[in-house]
Amino acid sequence: MVIAEYSKDHTGPFWRGLAEQYTKSTGTKVDLQIVDWNTIDQQVSTMIQNNQPPDVLNLNAFASYAKDGLLYPAADVLSPKTREDFLESFARGGEYKGTLYGFPILSSARAFFYNTELLDRAGLPGAPRTWEGFVTAARKVTALGGGVIGYALPLGPEEAQAEWSIWMWNNGGDWKSGETWAINSDRNVQALAFLGDLANKHKVTQVNPGKTNRTDGAFQLFKDGKVGMVIGFSPLAKQLDAEGKVKYGVGPMPTNTGTAVTLGVEDYLMAFKKKGNQEAVKKFLDLYYQPENITRWITAEGFLPVTRSGLKQMSGDSKLKPYLDLLPNARLAPTTDPAWDKVKLDVQQSIGLAVQPGGNPKQVLDRLQQNATAAAR
Amino acid sequence: MVFPAVVLVSASLSRYSITGLHQGAVGVRNYARLLEQEALGTVAANTLVWVGLVVGVTLVLSLALAQLLNVDFPGRRLVRWALIVPWAASLIMTAKLFVWIYDYYFGVLNRLLVGLRVLSAPVDWLGDDATVMGAMIAVGVFVSLPFTTYVLLAGLQGIPGEVYEAARVDGASGWRTYRSVTLPLLRPALLVAAVLNLIYVFNSFPIVWTLNDRNPGFGHDTLITYMYKIAFKSALRDVGLAAALGVVNVLLTLAAVLVYLKAVRWREVEA
Repeated sequence: MVIAEYSKDHTGPFWRGLAEQYTKSTGTKVDLQIVDWNTIDQQVSTMIQNNQPPDVLNLNAFASYAKDGLLYPAADVLSPKTREDFLESFARGGEYKGTLYGFPILSSARAFFYNTELLDRAGLPGAPRTWEGFVTAARKVTALGGGVIGYALPLGPEEAQAEWSIWMWNNGGDWKSGETWAINSDRNVQALAFLGDLANKHKVTQVNPGKTNRTDGAFQLFKDGKVGMVIGFSPLAKQLDAEGKVKYGVGPMPTNTGTAVTLGVEDYLMAFKKKGNQEAVKKFLDLYYQPENITRWITAEGFLPVTRSGLKQMSGDSKLKPYLDLLPNARLAPTTDPAWDKVKLDVQQSIGLAVQPGGNPKQVLDRLQQNATAAAR
Repeated sequence: MVFPAVVLVSASLSRYSITGLHQGAVGVRNYARLLEQEALGTVAANTLVWVGLVVGVTLVLSLALAQLLNVDFPGRRLVRWALIVPWAASLIMTAKLFVWIYDYYFGVLNRLLVGLRVLSAPVDWLGDDATVMGAMIAVGVFVSLPFTTYVLLAGLQGIPGEVYEAARVDGASGWRTYRSVTLPLLRPALLVAAVLNLIYVFNSFPIVWTLNDRNPGFGHDTLITYMYKIAFKSALRDVGLAAALGVVNVLLTLAAVLVYLKAVRWREVEA
C-alpha cells in the first residue's frame, strides 16, 4: 500500500491503525508505505518500471494508470453500498472513459485567507471581492512597510497548478474548451499577465513568486503574520488555530467575472490488478470506506468529505462551514484526462517562469498548450 | 556491477509510458530526441561551470588548508576533527541546512550580512538567477574540502624533511620552495584528489537538487539533475529518454578521466 503523507501527525497513525485492524480481522499482512508529496510520483513510477506496482495506491491522479490498463474498475473491488455513497461530482471526477477507476478518498476546497489585523491597519473595510479591490488592498497592505507582504503568491514547482487554476477560472478561462486543450486562450494570457503585474509592476507579492512553494514559502509567511492575503485550505486553518498567532478570516476568491470560483481537489484510492489480490483489496477498501473510519481520518487531517454519509456527519462542524459552502462552486482539475498527468507536471515546472521580471506569459502558455496537445495524441 | 549498466543501456533503447510501464524497443530514437531537447545546451554549460569551479576552488583551498594542518599548532587536533564534519554529514542534510541559511526571509546569511552592513538589502540567494550558481558552488566546495584536504595532507606528510633542508641550504625562499619542491612532489596526491573530485562532483545530485528545488524550468540544472527531471518531474516523464542521458553521462565521466590520465602520464614520462 502506498499512501501520500498529508501530515506528519495524522496520516501515519491512522493508516497503521487501519492496517492492524485489517490484519487482525483477515490475517493478511499489510506492507504500508507513507511517502511525501514531493517524491511519491517518482516512487510509483519506479515501482511500475520494476513490475512491482502497489496493490492499493493513494495519489492525486489516476487516469494514466487507467489508460495503461493497470487498475481494477470499481465494480470489481468496491461494494455497491460504497459506490452509491460517493458524492456525484467526486465520483464523476474519478471516471476514465465512463468507468470508475479512481475512488475518491478525500477532498479539499481552497478558500481566500486574509489577516484581519493587517487589513484593519491598512484601513480596508473587509476582504476584497473583485480583482480591482484586490490590487488596491494588496497595495495598501504592502504600504504598511516593515517587510509586510500584500499577497503571497506561490507559483513554485510544488503545486503551481492549483494556484494558477484559481486565478485562471476567476477570469473566465479554463484548461479546456470542450474536449480540446485551451491553455493559451486570451483570457488565460490576461490572467497570467495580471499575476506577473502583481509581482513586477505593483510589487505586492513576496520576492520571486515563481520560485516560492506553498508549504515552506507562502503558508509559512502567512503563519508568521507577515502576509495580508493568501489562498489556503482547511489544513492551513487548523495549523493557524493551533498556533494562535494570527487572526484571520476565510472567504470566497476575488473574481473578475462576478462569480467566485474555487479549486476543489479530489485525491484518489486506486487498486492495481495483480494476480490473486482482488479479494484482499476489496476487504481493505470496504474497511476504509466504513463511515466511522473515513470520516475519522478526514476530520483529523482537516479535509472535506467525499461521501454522502460523510457530508451529513461533518456538516455540523462550524469551522468547516466556509469550505462546505464553497464546495458547490468548486471546480476540479481535468484529472480524468490521461494527458493531465503530463500537463500538471509541465505547469508545475514552467508557470513560475512567466511571473519573473522579464517573463513572457503568452510564450509560457503557448508552450504548455503545445505540450498538452502533443501529450493528448 | 555489470547488471545495472546493462539495464541502463536497455532502458535507453526502450519506450515507456508516463506511468513507467515498459512498452517495447525503439532503437536509438531516444538519443536522437535527447539532442533535440532545447534545455540541453544550458544544462551542459551549467555542468561545465559547476564541475570546473567546484573542483578548481576546492583544490586551491585544500592546498592551503593542508599546509596549515601540516604545521603543529595548539588545537590542531581539534581543527582536524572539525574538518571532518562537513564530510560526515549526509549531503541531503547539509543541503537542506543551506537552503534555510540562504532563505530570503528566514535565512541566517541575510540576517548576518545586512546586520554587518555588508549588504544594504537582503538577497534571494537561491531565487535570483545571478546568484544561484554561486550559492550552489559554495556548498559544493564546502562538502568537498574535507576529503581533498586529507588527501593532500597525506601527500604533504609523505614528503621527506631532507628535501626541505636541501632547498633551504640552496637559499630558496618560502614561495620558491613551495612552487619548485612541494607542488611537484604533491603531484600524485593532487592527481588522486582531482580525478576523484571530478567524478564525484559531476555525479553530485543532492546539492544541486535540493538547492535548486524551488526554481521552475531547467535554467540551473546539471546533466545529472536534468536526467532525473526528465524521468520523473517534467512534462516529459520519459524513462527511456532519461536512461539515454544516463548512458551519455557515464560515457562523459569515463572520457574526462581518460583524457586527464593521459595528459598527466604524458607529462610524467617527459619529466
